[in-house]
Amino acid sequence: MANQTLPAQQVEKQHVSFWYRYKVGRILLYFILTFGALVALTPFVYMLLGSLLTRGEMLNRKLLPRDPIAGLQNYVQAWNEANFNEYFVNSVQITTITIIGMLIVCVLAAYAFSRIKFPGREAIFAVFLATMMIPETILLIPNFLIVNQLNKLMAPIGLPWLNNWPSLTIPFMASVFAIFLMRQFFAQIPDELWDAARIDGAGHVRFMLQVVMPLSKAVLFTVIIFQFIGSWNALVWPLVVTSKPDWRPIAVGLYSFISEAGPELQLMLAGAVITTAPVLLLYFFTQKQFTEGIATTGLKG
Amino acid sequence: MPQQSAESLKTGRVSGARKRAIREAFIGYLFITPATVLLTVFGLFPLLYAVYISLHRWRIKKGPFLGLKNYTKALGDPKDILWFAIGVALLIGSWYLWKSMTRERRTWAMVVKFLAVIVFIAGAWGMFTGLGKMIESGDQTMYEAFVVTVFYAVGIVPMQLGLALLLAVMLYQKIKGKDMYRMIYFMPYVTITVASAGVFRAIFSRRPESIANQLAGLLGIEPQKWLQEPHGIWELVFGHFGVNLQEVFKTMGVDSFLAFILAGPSLALLSIMLYNLWVFVGYNSVIFLAGLGAIPSDLYEAAEIDGANRWHIFRHVTLPLLSPTIYFLTIITVMGVFKAINHVLVMREPAAQGTVDTASLYIFDQFYLSTRFGYASAIAMVLFLVILTLTFVQNRIAQRRVFYG
Repeated sequence: MANQTLPAQQVEKQHVSFWYRYKVGRILLYFILTFGALVALTPFVYMLLGSLLTRGEMLNRKLLPRDPIAGLQNYVQAWNEANFNEYFVNSVQITTITIIGMLIVCVLAAYAFSRIKFPGREAIFAVFLATMMIPETILLIPNFLIVNQLNKLMAPIGLPWLNNWPSLTIPFMASVFAIFLMRQFFAQIPDELWDAARIDGAGHVRFMLQVVMPLSKAVLFTVIIFQFIGSWNALVWPLVVTSKPDWRPIAVGLYSFISEAGPELQLMLAGAVITTAPVLLLYFFTQKQFTEGIATTGLKG
Repeated sequence: MPQQSAESLKTGRVSGARKRAIREAFIGYLFITPATVLLTVFGLFPLLYAVYISLHRWRIKKGPFLGLKNYTKALGDPKDILWFAIGVALLIGSWYLWKSMTRERRTWAMVVKFLAVIVFIAGAWGMFTGLGKMIESGDQTMYEAFVVTVFYAVGIVPMQLGLALLLAVMLYQKIKGKDMYRMIYFMPYVTITVASAGVFRAIFSRRPESIANQLAGLLGIEPQKWLQEPHGIWELVFGHFGVNLQEVFKTMGVDSFLAFILAGPSLALLSIMLYNLWVFVGYNSVIFLAGLGAIPSDLYEAAEIDGANRWHIFRHVTLPLLSPTIYFLTIITVMGVFKAINHVLVMREPAAQGTVDTASLYIFDQFYLSTRFGYASAIAMVLFLVILTLTFVQNRIAQRRVFYG
């Protein structure tokens, strides 16, 4: 690493150029990056290839399926054996209800915290933020008992909580993380817009729905994606509040498929592909907003 | 609101402005009501409720009031806890004594420093003997779960952050296919935990043809039991050279808990840590990348003009300016280890004999499998106290070390 001072122009072009200046450095750079990518990808490749092996091939320790089309049979078998049909629908329902509820609850709160003045606003927001520090493990037991009580209260009026959607969705609708992100975003919207809207006779509700929300598509999108992954990923809480398959989401379905049934490996891998596919597809299509959304959350923290 | 009243006095519409402010506040409260109700019911109240539960015998249904019995059952004899607490207090006291005298040069300072050293030794002695007796009389499995958690956190934080920083610095160069690399690195993070942990269960299978064993074979290591291996890593390494570490401990009279620590994290736990690395390195490097992008480039230019070399620039410009990101990721990672349940639940094998059970998983087991709600809540409160202490310490360190440019 030479200690020479570079001509100003060159410095301006690239400030970190060690890797670039030497061919060896560049090769090493690509080598390490590609190696990392291979490590990240190997389990996916293994999952896909393994899910297409026939039972005999798996037992004979083959790595590549000879007839991938025939291997698709595994997916049908896993789908039926693990009862994914039901679990899949459950997960879609749970995710949809949670996202809609979360948007209503959190947009309202974020709007109030950023654009409406009321006494105690900062203090209440600080309490909101503090709840993020409480680990879920500690809340698990009391929340289970609370949901039990709500179940007893609400079942007579036709809304049982256990083995039903309320326990799986309502506790997640107040996402402090979502409120925090949206608050940052809403606060940046210029006050002139609000003044103009007020002159036109619009109140807070109309301003929020017709000006703030259309301007905040990016952050709404980020929040929705996070919630989607969170709901699709949830395991422990659904495991605790459901005792029948009626409302169990797909992660629980896969978990019981893996642990209770002890299926053949190729079926388990097929099940893993089925469960992951929706999230990975969503990721591929929305990749840019996705990584950017996450990068900003890191910076703000 | 003095500002508003002054304004309204001028315009002479006192009641109108006040009315509007009240209306505004009313709308504000209305808007935050749903979130506040939900957070109170499912976020704040449960914390108090957990304390209440932990003070009772509670097996599915509430039983008699026990006071602190659940806590002493978990932590051990109150007398020993007191010893431990006094020890910790003395340690902290000696630290302040020493610090208050570091700038002084007189004999008086020497005496105080000497005193500080004695207090330190006494504190350390009190803490360790207290802790040793607590473990003996308390729930040793719980203490082991905490040791597992510490192994996990201490192992994962430097590896994960180091690798992520390396990848981020490389991705920050002008390279072809940057977006592609970033996309690939991030894939593990978006994968469903149960699915990817299931795949890793197959990868770390004890079968000789599993991927882990084949890779180990390339490095000349004989097939291992991976997720089914309860023996500590140091035990395995020494065993490879023909030394039975457990025998050594036995002849030296080391008790079983200390032997558990000295044997190191089990190979099963290390496998789970590798899974953790696989999931989070990409996520961390994306965040590092954002942090790198936020560093103004004229700082690099200034450093180059001053003749700093690459390492100096990295050490004295990049790292300090990245310290908020490093701090953030450290907290996220440590918190993640303390919360770790899902993937451990999928990846643990009975053969691992509980050497992978983190504190959170132990609480979950006590609650879900053994239906000891009261006892599980007591351990959960202990975990909460540990996390609070850690956050406090991390904050103190951050105040000195984190540079918010």
